[in-house]
Amino acid sequence: MAQIDIQNVQKFFGHHQVLKNLNLTIEDGEFVVMLGQSGGGKTTALRAIAGLETVTSGKILINGTEVQDRKAADRDIAFVFQSFSLYPHMTVRENIAFPLRAVRMNATDRDKAVSEVAETLQIAEHLNRKPSALSGGDMQRVAIGRALVRRPQALLMDEPLGVLDAKLREQMRAEIKRLHIARGSTSVYVTHDQIEAMSLADRIVILHDGVLQQVGPPDEVYLHPTNLFVAKFVGSPVMNINAVRLAGNSVMLNEASQGFHFPDQTLSHARNAAGDMTLGVRPEAVVLAHQASEGFVEAVTTNIEPLGSHDIVDVRIGGTVLRARTESAFVSGEGQKVWARIDPSQAHFFDTATGLNLRGAN
Amino acid sequence: MADIALQGITKKFGSNTALRDLDLEIKDGEFFVLLGQTGAGKTTTLRLIAGLEIPNSGKVIIDGHDATNWNAAERDVALVLQQYSLYPRMTVRGNLEFPLKSRTQNFTAAEIKERVDRVAETLQITRLLDRKVERLSGGEMQRVSIGRAIVRQPRVFLMDEPLSALDANLRDVLRVELKKLHSELGATFVFVTHDQVEAMSMGDKIGVLNRGRLVQVGTPSEIYAKPLNTFVARSVGTPPMNLLDGVLKGNMAVLDAGKFSLPVASPHGGEGNRIRFGIRPEDVVLDDSGPASARVFDIENHGVIKILTLDINGTHLHATVSAQTQVHIDDTVKFNWRPEKVLCFDPSSGRNLGLG
Repeated sequence: MAQIDIQNVQKFFGHHQVLKNLNLTIEDGEFVVMLGQSGGGKTTALRAIAGLETVTSGKILINGTEVQDRKAADRDIAFVFQSFSLYPHMTVRENIAFPLRAVRMNATDRDKAVSEVAETLQIAEHLNRKPSALSGGDMQRVAIGRALVRRPQALLMDEPLGVLDAKLREQMRAEIKRLHIARGSTSVYVTHDQIEAMSLADRIVILHDGVLQQVGPPDEVYLHPTNLFVAKFVGSPVMNINAVRLAGNSVMLNEASQGFHFPDQTLSHARNAAGDMTLGVRPEAVVLAHQASEGFVEAVTTNIEPLGSHDIVDVRIGGTVLRARTESAFVSGEGQKVWARIDPSQAHFFDTATGLNLRGAN
Repeated sequence: MADIALQGITKKFGSNTALRDLDLEIKDGEFFVLLGQTGAGKTTTLRLIAGLEIPNSGKVIIDGHDATNWNAAERDVALVLQQYSLYPRMTVRGNLEFPLKSRTQNFTAAEIKERVDRVAETLQITRLLDRKVERLSGGEMQRVSIGRAIVRQPRVFLMDEPLSALDANLRDVLRVELKKLHSELGATFVFVTHDQVEAMSMGDKIGVLNRGRLVQVGTPSEIYAKPLNTFVARSVGTPPMNLLDGVLKGNMAVLDAGKFSLPVASPHGGEGNRIRFGIRPEDVVLDDSGPASARVFDIENHGVIKILTLDINGTHLHATVSAQTQVHIDDTVKFNWRPEKVLCFDPSSGRNLGLG
């Protein structure tokens, strides 16, 4: 059990700064997912917590104790890598027991701990096999078992499902989440996969260019992105992002078309914009209709992606294309005239220059 | 412009039969997607159309002519591959000009320039024309590859997983662009993929291949709503269709899992018989007064929706619910399904019993 504090951490590789003044508190028992593109700094942050990487400046505290100068082995933290990193000449049992031998646990306790972990991870039947005889999923289960067997203060995972195929990834993701619920150990998990992050995390930490962009529960990150990077990075298909201007209560996508009417109270943040403004709307917040009614503007369908359970429909409004999520077969073809509305409660206004959500931080 | 027909094609590689008695018709101007897993035979089919493979038996007909023994150059088709296969040291312009400068072509310099410029404009790569290919991003390279195929104005475009090496957002963009390109050019497109989202969202028609056999051909909505068998049913949709075994009693499915009785609007397969019931995740609905109950095993959060994995004593099924649905792992939930969406399959052959 552990609370992890990251305070003012900077990390340079040569002249290149990969972590820029990182501050983050991970609560005891929390499942935190660090999400970002490669090069964003998420793996470096994880490795710094583990002690696999030193920090250039700043502090890392585990349960209130400064550990930034301690070796990895002295931090009581377990690490699971993307590559399974098992000892090929040892059996599964010996692999899992290895960290316990290192701390000289007696054989009886060791066997008990190994059996318990193997049971939890459903690999008891493989205990006497060599890793080479296992599937990718089972190998990663063994790697997780080896990490958990010491009952570490925290479990750190660096894209542990990255090399598995889609179906196995989904299954293992569910198992990791359930394991966390059962054990309650503090977990920090790195991924570039937003669905993994959204599904696993109590809180998501989004890093880009070494800078923390947003920290929050999955739904908050999805519904209230603090800036354009987060808005574009989370959600699929990607959020519609367009330059707009206000004309009274109308949000204008361009000069050629009529604007979208927004109620006064939904525009208070947008009215404070100092410079150019960008509108962000997710496809599900673009509402299509077959008939004109108040708040809807004329649009023409330009592309339809039928996906069975729903369609993604591109509509052109003046010279601007918006993607909308509709029920299946709502529109019948391309070039069809429809009416579109933007749900004001799901619209985000960003300062174009800074990228910040004009609503401010939550 | 070209119709393509494959008639009774069998193709063997040594003792391995890659395609078995394949019949396929692709209409002039159609966007035809071949969907299948690795080893299903989709790339072999494409290479047979291209003239890069010769069948052991059967015919390849292009525009009414037996083209089985024509070589690749005679067929007037263009192939776009997953790997870009561009000349890295040439500029983009050099790569685009290349097919027009071959010995069999007789284009003047002015004609070549005009075609290259027009293709570059179509694919929005005009600003890249003087750049070396090795300095382009993956998406840009794939555009150039497509450009090199277009520039010759072939009758048929054959594309072998052209988007699968690209990241998700770029795939989204290029999917739309390829469809647009198809409608502008009006040429026949044959597009091979293992990605059902690509198949559903791009194809006029989808052909589903399994182990060298063509299982079903249909529009995306036919494939989705009226699959011929459980294989096709599971090959489209995210997550795939749930299949639950049980017994048909009147208008009710009595499921093995939990012995729950759920209504079926169009029962097929005969009273008292064992049936494999198919229901898509979006047609499973949480309902406090529903006839069935399950434990929430997993929640996959997509922001706009949640995909639940429900557990009934070890049997798992998926349910797609709105993002606002409040559920937690290990909650017990009641559910129902949309009776009009239930399909009945033969448990041994997998055949859809509702399709006559």
